[in-house]
Amino acid sequence: MEEEIIKNNYTDAQKSRIFDQEFMPHINAMYNFAYRLTLDRDDAKDLLQDTYLKAYRFIDSFQEGTNAKAWLFRILKNSFINDYRKKSKEPAKVDYQEVETYYNSEDVDRQITPDLRVESLSNMIGDEISNALNALDVDFRTVIILCDLEGFKYEEMAKILDIPIGTVRSRLHRARNLLKEKLSEYAKSMGYKTA
Amino acid sequence: MNDPSKMKHDCPNQKDCLQLLQAILDGEATKEQKEHFMKEHLDSCMPCYQNYHLEVAIRDLLKKKCTREAPQELIDSIKKQIEQNLRA
Repeated sequence: MEEEIIKNNYTDAQKSRIFDQEFMPHINAMYNFAYRLTLDRDDAKDLLQDTYLKAYRFIDSFQEGTNAKAWLFRILKNSFINDYRKKSKEPAKVDYQEVETYYNSEDVDRQITPDLRVESLSNMIGDEISNALNALDVDFRTVIILCDLEGFKYEEMAKILDIPIGTVRSRLHRARNLLKEKLSEYAKSMGYKTA
Repeated sequence: MNDPSKMKHDCPNQKDCLQLLQAILDGEATKEQKEHFMKEHLDSCMPCYQNYHLEVAIRDLLKKKCTREAPQELIDSIKKQIEQNLRA
């Protein structure tokens, strides 16, 4: 949780109202985020439950009128890192810096510059895009979910992820290149011309 | 769309343009950037025109295919635990 927060002293009725009106409306988006992070239905359920209970426990540090969705997403992301990332079935965490440096290089950008076409995307009526998204490293996956699925602004993403806004921008750009690369592989394997 | 035969087929700034058009779609570009790019550049530059439509198509596909709803029993269980907490 944030260091300098104003502690409210909500009554039970207020807590109940905040929980129902501010927190519960985001439950589907939160479940989807939990699932996309853990890639496991049972882990996603546990993570979602833990997050909502935590949100309730810390409800006095939630400021009414502020962005509840961003507040909840941040708790979920932190719970994932602290409690699930270690035991998740994902391969050991890749060194961020290494990945970012690698994908930052001009070479990679040039290689990736999309040879993917809109027409081949319209043929992806199955799980191709979902699989492509899930195949990305969790940090790249996360920014795409936050931005493209949930519509968070860069500044909100920076707060949710505790990273500078410039890193949000560059990570997002790279994540999208990688996603296109994956989609392009699918398109090729489906036999569609990509260029 | 403008006459494709009159469009440029090479964009010298494709990488920067891609970043800019992503910022536009993310709602993070200024009004001036947006107007300039959408009105001046997009209709005359084939690679950027294609990139723009590709970005839009990927976002649509993501929204259509990569969301899922929380199971009802999970929602009920969370609500129940909170109610118990309130009574405690």
